[in-house]
Parts: sequence; structure tokens; C-alpha cells
Amino acid sequence: MFVTILDVVIAGLLLGGIYALIAVGLSLQYGVARVLNISHGEFIMLGAFGTWMLYKMAGINPLITLAMCGPVIFLIGFFLHRTLFRSLLNSSASSDIFEGRSLLASFGLLFIIQNIAILVWGADIKGYSYLSYGVNLAGSLFEANRLVTLLFAVVISAAFYLFLACTRLGKAIRAAAQDPATAGLMGVNINKVLALCFGFGALMASFAGGLLSMCYPITATMGMEYTIIAIIVVVLGGLGSIVGSFIGGFLLGLIGSIVTYIEPGLALVAYYVIFTVLLLAKPKGILGK
Amino acid sequence: MKNKVLLGLLVLTVAVVFLCGAGITPSLAKDKIVVGMSRPLSGWLAVIGDSAFKPIYETWVPMVNAQGGIYVKEYKKKLPIELIIYDDKSDVGTMTRLTEKLIVEDKVDFLWPACGTSFVFAQAPIANKHGYILVTAEGGATQIKDMLPSLPYVFVSLSFSDWYELPVFAELLGEAGAKTAYIMYIGDLHGIEYSGVAGIEFPKHGIEIAGIKSVPPGTKDLSPIIKKAKASNADVFCAFGYPDMVLPATGTSMALGYNPKAWIGGPGANFGFYHTTFGPATEGVCGFTTFACNQSAAAKELCDKLYKGKPEEIRDFWGHPLYWAALEFWKAAIEKAGTLDQKVIRDIMATEKLNTMLGPTWFENGLMAKEAHTGEIGQWQKGVFEVVGPKKHATAKFVYPKPAWPKPKK
Repeated sequence: MFVTILDVVIAGLLLGGIYALIAVGLSLQYGVARVLNISHGEFIMLGAFGTWMLYKMAGINPLITLAMCGPVIFLIGFFLHRTLFRSLLNSSASSDIFEGRSLLASFGLLFIIQNIAILVWGADIKGYSYLSYGVNLAGSLFEANRLVTLLFAVVISAAFYLFLACTRLGKAIRAAAQDPATAGLMGVNINKVLALCFGFGALMASFAGGLLSMCYPITATMGMEYTIIAIIVVVLGGLGSIVGSFIGGFLLGLIGSIVTYIEPGLALVAYYVIFTVLLLAKPKGILGK
Repeated sequence: MKNKVLLGLLVLTVAVVFLCGAGITPSLAKDKIVVGMSRPLSGWLAVIGDSAFKPIYETWVPMVNAQGGIYVKEYKKKLPIELIIYDDKSDVGTMTRLTEKLIVEDKVDFLWPACGTSFVFAQAPIANKHGYILVTAEGGATQIKDMLPSLPYVFVSLSFSDWYELPVFAELLGEAGAKTAYIMYIGDLHGIEYSGVAGIEFPKHGIEIAGIKSVPPGTKDLSPIIKKAKASNADVFCAFGYPDMVLPATGTSMALGYNPKAWIGGPGANFGFYHTTFGPATEGVCGFTTFACNQSAAAKELCDKLYKGKPEEIRDFWGHPLYWAALEFWKAAIEKAGTLDQKVIRDIMATEKLNTMLGPTWFENGLMAKEAHTGEIGQWQKGVFEVVGPKKHATAKFVYPKPAWPKPKK
């Protein structure tokens, strides 16, 4: 019985680690840059394809490709904000209008990125096998690639949290998240900080995509599924809260694992029930402000 | 007088122009056969469309046009094929509107199929209503058999669960001595149908169902089900789902050291990308198939046309030969009919045997005859997806028990 419980809990944490990493990037983009980036899943997809391509064609270790693809996708995100979203921001009379416009713009971005990916890589399924062996933990076997994904998800999220908490740029980002106008008056280059946040969000998505590609097959149309998961986790954890998204991801993973053990068909139902109940009880999410 | 002459000349000119335009010389009027399709060029179904029927028509049409086209006796010449393809964005509603557009506005000569079983269900009545032949590609289900008698213009090419894959698989397993099976299936029409048919066919051959679990589409973690399957000690494991379930199920089975005596996944294991993902670990894994490249000269020729010089990922040993044969059959029916009249062509397709790369091919009550199939069950052996069932078409012996997953490099 104890082994079964441990089995389910560890499986939940493995799944939760992926969810947490997916959500942290979106939380950053929405919490600071105020862009509910519906195309977040497409950046995950780009990270996944980048890793797949480098592993298959050049034999580069997928964990090393994270460091290679991440900066490229960060720059794409940074550039997109400096051009597309900044022009929307400048032309919007209020933040609510900007949020609406940026939501629509990110919808367009979703289709553009997805269809470029289909043109470049085709729409068929790609995959590779990496660390596909079992590791014995407390008497139960778990896939090594998923354990590594969990480890990297925790390390990356923790590193990013420390970056936000302890560095000057991190403080500027937190200040911009709290009150962009005042932060600007205090000498923070708001435009640059917002673009950096969007870029960092894309970077996190890239890491998530690379790690996901180790565990699951990938397609050019895989992004939307992860965007939906990210939105659920971000709302669950509290809009704008990185730590909340992290906790929300693990919570969703655990719930999914428990319900899947009992009846896999009810896992999705359980997600939405918990989501609804939590929003009724605590509308701002676990750590929402 | 002068006016009467001019009037007479005018009437004569109009009459000549009218008679020419009326098509009394059809060989001048018709210069191509226009085929319309609504296909998922984008969206979630593009992953299937791209790897299944698209490589077929992209190879077949240029090949036929390079030979001049299809000979139509009515026009006393060969007519090349021109494709009109609209993107239905993987949406059934869009597909039905585009299908109507192709027929009513574009007035295409023929219709080729949309992608996916649910799309087939939606498109078939439209095509039939307008008297357009529809030879389906991706998609097929037991339920469609019940619809076909009322859809005389619809012809289904793809094999499926009880036509005739699972009866063959059950027979192979029974003869090999399998006693129990664990079934994991995706919670949609495909999974429900395959698990239902397995539930009927396996017991006929002494195989008891040790466990059965439905998995919602998009489930990320299959380890709880794989662990339960492992605990059941079932001889056979069945993963009836799509590639995005079959590939993780394989990886999880490997990682958890789950080594049943037989492992089948489909659709999924029948694709080249399955082998490129798992390499030597595919040894012994079963899937659905129609042919093997080494099966016959015609099979080899088809493989050369479709796969030579291209990545292994694009190979589909189940659907590709059936879709190709269906197009060959359609072409042969047009040539035999000597006309583009769909009723005449349909009557030939419904009643006659014509030669394709499969050999003699025909349709029974709208379904491609199972006797025309050159394979149902495949198994990866030394990097080749061999046909192992039915035995009369086998290119290799069914290996049972399958070898254990190889120890991966750490």
C-alpha cells in the first residue's frame, strides 16, 4: 500500500515538474509584460524541435541543446515584444485594451509559428529515444528521462527565482510587475524590462519543450495542448506569481496522477473540477495578489 | 438585299459559334481531369494527412501526368489530372463547406477524400448526394460498414479492426499459445472499436482479457496503466491508439521493463518514424500492415517510387499500399468506362475486379475486399516491418515471444 502511494506521488511529481516549467514562462509573460501569450505552446514546440533536430542530425546530447536553443528562442521572444507587442502597447489607451489586443495578436502569432513549423519540418510525428530506462525509487520503477526532466524543471525554476530575488535586473522585473509606471519613474527602463520578460518566458518555454521532447513524441501542432495546461496552472497558482505557478503545476500533476491511477478517463474531469472549485474558493489563485 | 445578306451571315456565324461551343467536338473542349480535395494542410490532423494520403497523391499524380494522364475514350486522348486542394484546417465543418464548394461552385470532375474517420462519416453523404464517387483514404471503422449500403458512391480502401486485422492477429496469437491479453485503448471511436473487436476475437482463440483500460486522448503519463499491465502478467499487450499514445507507451514499457510475449500498437508501429525513434528496440513489436517492400516485385516498385531517397520517417506500411491501389483502381475504372460519367464509373468500381499493385482488387459492398489485402499484421524484425499475418501473405514467421527490450546505453 505504502509503495503504491509513493508510486502515485512520485509519478505526480514527475508530471507536475513538466507542468510547472511550462507555466512559469507564461506566468512571467503575463505577470510582468501583461501579455496572455496564447502562442506560448508554439515556443515550447520550437524548443522541442530544436532539440530533436540537433540530437538527430548532429548527435548532440538533448540536455546540452537546451543551452543552444534557449538563447535563440529568447531572442525571438525579445524581438517580438520589441516590435509587435510594444507597438500595441504604445497605441493602447489603457492596459485592459492592450491585454485584449495582445491576446488577439498572440492568437495570430500561434498560427504563423505553427504553419512555419509545418512548412519547415512537416506535420508528421517526430521522436527519439533518450534515457529510456527505468530507475528504481523506493521499490518502484520510473523512467530516467522523466526524472531528469523533473530535476531540470526544479533547478531551472529555482535558478530563475533566485535571479528574480537576488539580482538587480530581477528586482527591476519585480518592480515592473508591481507598478510599471512607478518603476519607470525610479529609473527602470520599462520597455527593455518588458521585452526581457517576454524573452525569458520564451526561454522557459524553450527549456520545457526540449525536456518534453525527451519523453514524448513531438509534432508541429503540439503547442496548443501545452498552452491550455499552462493557462490552467497559471490561473491556479495565481496570475503573475512564479512560485504560485510552480506550486500549481505540481498540484495539477499530483491530482492527475492520483485520478489516473483510479480511472484514467477522469483525469481531465478532475483537472477542471479542481480548477473550478479553487477559483470559487480563492478566485485569485493559490498565491495570487 | 444587302441587309438580308448581312443578316444571313450573322445568323450563320452565331450558329457556327454555338455549335462549336456546344461541344460537338469534345476532344477540343476537355483538356484535363479536375480533382478536388479538402485536406488538413494545417491543424491537428495535418500530422496524419501529411504522412498518410499526401505522399501518395503527391507521387501518383505527377507519375500519371508524366505518362500523359488518364485515357478517356470519349475524348480520344489522355487527360492529365489537375488537383484543387483546399485547407480544411482539420475542422469538420470547414471540410463539409469546402466539399460542397468543390462540387457546386468549382464543379470538379472528381472528389478525393478528406482525412480521418469522422471526416469520412461527414463527407460521404455529401459526395453521395451529388453523385460523386468518393474513394476514402485515411479512416475506416466498423460502423461505416452499416452506412455503405445507403452510400453507393462511397468506396472505403483502408483496412480496420474486423476488416481484417484483429481476427488475423487473434489467430496468430492463439496458434502461438497466448493465453491472456491486456488492452489499453484511446477513449474515442477508434479505441472503443478496436478494443471491442479484440474482446470478441481473442476469446475465440482461447485468449482471456486480463485487463482493459481506456485512456483519454492527450494523456501524458501512461506509467500507471503499463504498471497494471505488467502486474497482470498478461501474455499480450495491446495499445489501440494513435502514434502520440503508442510511442510513449513503447518508451514507458521499455523503461519499466515490461516485456510481454507480444506487443502491438496501432496505428503507430506501422510507420517509419516508429523505427527511427526506437531503432533496434522495435524488434518483435507488432502493428497493422498491408505489405512489405520485399513481398513482391510490385511492392518493391511501390517502395522505390514512394520511399527511395527519402527519410525513413515517411513510410506507412499500412495505409500507403491501399491508398495507392485505390487510385490505380479508380484510374482503371475510368479507362474501362471510357467516360468521366461518374455513374458509369461507379458501376464498374462496384462490380468489377481490376488489377492494381495488390493484384486483383475489388470492392464488396463498398469495402475493399479483404481477399485483396496482402497483409494485416506486421512485425518489426531486424529493422524490417515484415508481414506475419495472414500466413498466405507472410514475408516472415511470427516471432513469439518477442525479444525483451534491449538494455539501453546509460
